[in-house]
Amino acid sequence: MTPHSAHFNEEQLIGYHYGEAAESAAIEHHLRECTDCTRIYTAIERDLAEITAPVTPERGAEYGQQVWDSIRGSLRAYPGQEKKRWFSFAPGAQWKGFAAAAACLLVIAATFFAGRQWEHRNLQSPVGDKTASDSGKQRVVLVVLGDHLDRSERLLVELKHADPSTEGPVQAEARELLSANRLYRESVKLSGDPTLVSALDHLERVLIEVSNEPASLSQARLDELQKEMNTDGLLFEVRVLRSRVQGDVEQKERTSVATKGVSI
Amino acid sequence: MEGNDHQIVRAVLAGDKNAYGALVARHSQNVFRVAFRITGDEADADEIVQEAFMRGYQRLESFESRSEFGTWIYRITVNCALNMVNKRKSGTTYQIADDADPAQHQVQVADRAASPERTLLSREIEALQAKAMQGLTATERTAFVLRHMEDRSTTEIASALSIAPNAAKQAVFRAVQKLRRSLAPIRVTP
Repeated sequence: MTPHSAHFNEEQLIGYHYGEAAESAAIEHHLRECTDCTRIYTAIERDLAEITAPVTPERGAEYGQQVWDSIRGSLRAYPGQEKKRWFSFAPGAQWKGFAAAAACLLVIAATFFAGRQWEHRNLQSPVGDKTASDSGKQRVVLVVLGDHLDRSERLLVELKHADPSTEGPVQAEARELLSANRLYRESVKLSGDPTLVSALDHLERVLIEVSNEPASLSQARLDELQKEMNTDGLLFEVRVLRSRVQGDVEQKERTSVATKGVSI
Repeated sequence: MEGNDHQIVRAVLAGDKNAYGALVARHSQNVFRVAFRITGDEADADEIVQEAFMRGYQRLESFESRSEFGTWIYRITVNCALNMVNKRKSGTTYQIADDADPAQHQVQVADRAASPERTLLSREIEALQAKAMQGLTATERTAFVLRHMEDRSTTEIASALSIAPNAAKQAVFRAVQKLRRSLAPIRVTP
């Protein structure tokens, strides 16, 4: 190979510098003879020698432990350990298992007994005017509550599509609904329906916010209010509850008709 | 916990979460070093160390016993660092320590300046080098660090970056070209 017949390019020379050139022997031979390539290669070597790794900051012997301490809380053990815990032959481990099983059995037995007692008591109570009257009251409450949820739903829809000019009527409606909502929330709380209580609670907060806003609301404030109070989520919740209450009303009506049938 | 990495991995997969701490302790220095070299930032490197070990733990089931845990976690670290560089591309800094080996910082200059001046020149080179590193793409920078500072082969770089060997080779080449071009202004040929 003559010096000028086959020069090597920069890429090949860089590869050669890192000991990864395919034609390593040929380059070595060529560099001995070709001054041009030698000059280029010397420059590459010099430049690369200048680029040194930055000195890595010291990390003490306890660094690994520090890293581990910072991540261990976020890691969940692989399931192998769970199995081991339940079937372990370690002293006392099986007793823990038995104790847990016994506790479970006890809870199931207590639930069963309580259920039987409740059923027995309900069977013993006379089916008469009082039950019919209670059922009627419940139906009225459900109908009124359904109506309230219906109005609240409309208000939330209006709020969703409200622009600053329509804010006035929405606020008036919110004030009206607010006092009624308080009453319903209190009475539902006594009947013990946590989902309904929570929804009415959320609704109350929204109604308070809307009622107390100044008459002229900016679009930005409206958006903020919708976002902060998650009115979309509440609207969905109210819709679900309204359809549930509606279902309950229909069921009560059917029960009432059936009871009348029995009396006759 | 005593034992080799494979034994510890088996113990972790069997449910002994705390055994992983031994792997963290054993490999955290190496992981930190490569993370720091790629990012050039101490805080980022610390963050990468945590992320790499967390990812490692979560993917431990995919770790094949025929490979080395050190190599495996190294690869995860490179990926985390690459992501970090990509994320911080706009405002990253590359730190060069003051106590770098002076022998490797010599440059060909026409005037043999006095010691304080040479120190100043050395700092200028470092600053230029840092700037030049910032000018590289995340892949170029990572490939160059792995090749030039970590002494990894093209195959290893390609595997760590999940790219073809030829692409890894090209990335290193482009990085060297860019760095040489950036450092050219400070060089005065005798």
